[in-house]
Amino acid sequence: MELADFCVKYPFSKKAKELLDSENIQLSDEIVARGLERVKKALAGETSRSSAFHKSDKVDEVASYAAARMVLGYMRNRYLTNRFAVAEAKRANHYLSGEEATVVDEVAAEFGIVSSSTGGKLFVPIPTFVKFAPKSIDYKLINRNVHAGKVELIYREKIRLTEEAVKKRAEHIPIVKNAPESVKKAAEVLKAELPKLEPMKTITFKEGDNPPCIERLLEQVKKHENLNHQARWSLAVYLVGKGMGIEKVVSLYSNLPDFNEKMTRYQLEHIKKRGYTMPGCSTMLTYGLCCAECRIGNPLNWKSKEERMKWHKERENNA
Amino acid sequence: MLDEGVRRFAIGKISEYYAHTAKFAIPSLEKREFGIGNIKKIDARHLSFNSEQEFRNYLVTNTPLFVSHSAAFYERPGATPIDKKGWLGAELIFDLDLHAEGKYGVYPIIDKVRDDAIRLVEEFLIEDFGVDRKNIIIIFSGNRGYHIHVRDPDYFDLGIEERREIADYINGTGLNYRNFFEEMEIPGRKLTKKLGPKPSDHGYRGRFARAVIEKLEKEPRSISTVFSNDEKRTKFVDGIANGDWNKTSIADIVERLEPIAKELPVHSIDTDVGVTQDVSKLIRVPNSIHGETGLIAKIVDNIEKFSPLDDAIAFRMDEKNAITIVFTEDVPALNFGKTSYQEFKKDEKKELPEAFAIFLMLKGSAKITS
Repeated sequence: MELADFCVKYPFSKKAKELLDSENIQLSDEIVARGLERVKKALAGETSRSSAFHKSDKVDEVASYAAARMVLGYMRNRYLTNRFAVAEAKRANHYLSGEEATVVDEVAAEFGIVSSSTGGKLFVPIPTFVKFAPKSIDYKLINRNVHAGKVELIYREKIRLTEEAVKKRAEHIPIVKNAPESVKKAAEVLKAELPKLEPMKTITFKEGDNPPCIERLLEQVKKHENLNHQARWSLAVYLVGKGMGIEKVVSLYSNLPDFNEKMTRYQLEHIKKRGYTMPGCSTMLTYGLCCAECRIGNPLNWKSKEERMKWHKERENNA
Repeated sequence: MLDEGVRRFAIGKISEYYAHTAKFAIPSLEKREFGIGNIKKIDARHLSFNSEQEFRNYLVTNTPLFVSHSAAFYERPGATPIDKKGWLGAELIFDLDLHAEGKYGVYPIIDKVRDDAIRLVEEFLIEDFGVDRKNIIIIFSGNRGYHIHVRDPDYFDLGIEERREIADYINGTGLNYRNFFEEMEIPGRKLTKKLGPKPSDHGYRGRFARAVIEKLEKEPRSISTVFSNDEKRTKFVDGIANGDWNKTSIADIVERLEPIAKELPVHSIDTDVGVTQDVSKLIRVPNSIHGETGLIAKIVDNIEKFSPLDDAIAFRMDEKNAITIVFTEDVPALNFGKTSYQEFKKDEKKELPEAFAIFLMLKGSAKITS
């Protein structure tokens, strides 16, 4: 693969940075405009695929990643940054999935993800695994084959760890204080396109209204963290079960960095129509979502302080 | 609140211990934050020292009842607030302790925590995590448990979430042993074949298979009376060796094994306080004194033989250095310093060896007679 092609696909790599340095690329208005497009696409939930043909075009494309980061570093909007990171990570995964092993190994090694193979099986060190494992039940250490400091995994999972590593690097953006005029302008444009989020107003819960596992999920949504499928599903079933309207849940879920309105709405209606039951505490534990020992059997059995007081009072009155 | 006379007496003795006896070996001491406590375990933190001598001098002169250092290393350990310190990494720490009724209830059963500490080190840290034995330090906490410090640089840069994942693995959060089994249909027959873990498997799978076999050999009836029959038991055990769990007529065999699965994790790891997860946590300095017992938070070389109330004693146990104390509450019978003591009654006066007297006084059960 040509160096420029590699860098277009993997603009977060050391090679990409070296390419920009060697070509002495300046942050022109055009490059900032391309960076802006890159973030806009992320915001729209699209992944930008390269169509660059000439070398200079390719170099500009690599630079657009750096420009996008500059704009985001200036804006310091967590929602935008997370969406950008998720889009870049998915883009990298798309390219990696079509690469030969040597290329995957090279990109993974950028993040210190180095695997070893014994007896036809692939292993990575435990610290590497826990650093880059996506938050999903399948990747919980306890469900893995662990031995002598190593975790067994398959090639597709190595790519998935690399995707997570790309996301982590992409969301770690230094603050930009003195931005050039073009960056400031791009920031203005983006600000206007941001969805008007007032997420927490759509939630009428008070502190202590929900069990700790749900509180934790709500907190993560608020911080625009990406929830895995089980977490998203469980929270949705809980909220619907509590009688929250679909619109409100959709608006809450729009905080998620890979929010897809159509899909969310479809799933929620499905939950409501089929009347799915809330996963019990033991299932929540298996999902890795339980974070306290409330002994209530099911998160929906949680009683707020007021409800508990009322319950005690009624019991006393009846006695 | 500790009696002032007791406090002054204990502090004097602790100071002597720090001046003459205490052996410290704190790697990267100058990169650690220290905390001291008299009323609580930590009243003040953000302290730092440039050398062991400087640290020791501080303890001899100021003598707190508790002294802790950070699991973390910092560029500027004395800087405040924490995010100005420049975090460089942290040892992996596990806190194992036991809770029981009453002030002294834990001591007769403290070997249970020791057994957990041994399992944590041998089965989890060495076998599963591949940590070199020389990088694992076991410390008696000075009261009712053990602290394990993992000094393997490969684990130093893990963040909070990642440490939580490791703690989850060890205390079994999210463990579902039913996932170890797969049902395989046998073509042409109505039967399904249960494929399960083998004793030679790694991690929890192998641990589970081995524990089941051990149970079958030691207490077969606890699983089913069927296994009292040698032939039936041997047949089932031989099947498990190959991952074949069908060699029994008990239909709900997998369900019956749940109690065994529940015993696999190390439950006494205290993850509520988040020692493992908290990357800025302070932990008692190894070989310092625990101010609630006067015992040494001792680095344990041979845990199999370690007995806290005999082997972590800092002060004198000989008759010549006995002191007279008066009990302010009843104390149950206890073994201390390789001696058995009968119970003590409130208002009883007694001449006891210095180390035991200090232990009882710091526990708030006695005072010095004036």
